[in-house]
Amino acid sequence: MTPRPVPKRSMSPVFWLMFGAGGMLSALFGPALIILTGIMLPLGLGVPGRFGDYGHALRFAQNPLGKLVVLAVIALFFWHGAERIFLTLKDMRAGALPVLRLATYGVAAILTLLTLALLLEIGF
Amino acid sequence: MSERRPYVRAQPRDWWARKPYLGYTLRELTGAGVALYGGILLAGLISLARGPDAFEGFRSFLSSRLSLLIHLLLLAVMIWHVVTWFQTMPKTMPKLIAGGQHVPQQKLTVAGVALAALCSVALIVLVVAVGALS
Repeated sequence: MTPRPVPKRSMSPVFWLMFGAGGMLSALFGPALIILTGIMLPLGLGVPGRFGDYGHALRFAQNPLGKLVVLAVIALFFWHGAERIFLTLKDMRAGALPVLRLATYGVAAILTLLTLALLLEIGF
Repeated sequence: MSERRPYVRAQPRDWWARKPYLGYTLRELTGAGVALYGGILLAGLISLARGPDAFEGFRSFLSSRLSLLIHLLLLAVMIWHVVTWFQTMPKTMPKLIAGGQHVPQQKLTVAGVALAALCSVALIVLVVAVGALS
């Protein structure tokens, strides 16, 4: 009996997991985040204006828990969007798959690394 | 030459913009909105790392009319994402059985949207409460 060939491992469950995590995180807290950072803070509605100033934002980004929140929100939102855009462009047959992967997963990966680097640069 | 001549149904290039598929396309496009909002936050983080002047620039952009318009649009997209996310969720998970009965998909959708509303309201209330108390 010849041994069965080892099946080729697919990377897609990893992308699928991050798509799901980003989708759930944005579904649960996305509307509140947009209302807070995009509407209430800039207009000073219901929250003190100083919450949006440089010192407050810096301390939030310096806090280890704050860093984790910033990284999770930004990176997972990118990976969620990347998966959806990739699968839709694939269905539209918009281009060769390696090109589409680079334009979606590739961009999400670079922006995740950039977020990580910025959070480290900001320090603790 | 192969004898096999399977019928391949013609598919217009813009099938995704046509009716039975348009809902799918709009649902998937919410992913672009979610990523765009991530991009706005990333722009804020970049300006935060650059220093106070750059961050003030970012804040004045956030106060601009264009930014408010973008965020209102993103909010609508995000709410559509919430609804469609929980419409899709019951279809992607094993059938839920409670008391020997299948839980209807619509019930799960309603429960999911209600949970999302609760989470978002709780986060806003938390921030407002911290602001009022500090």
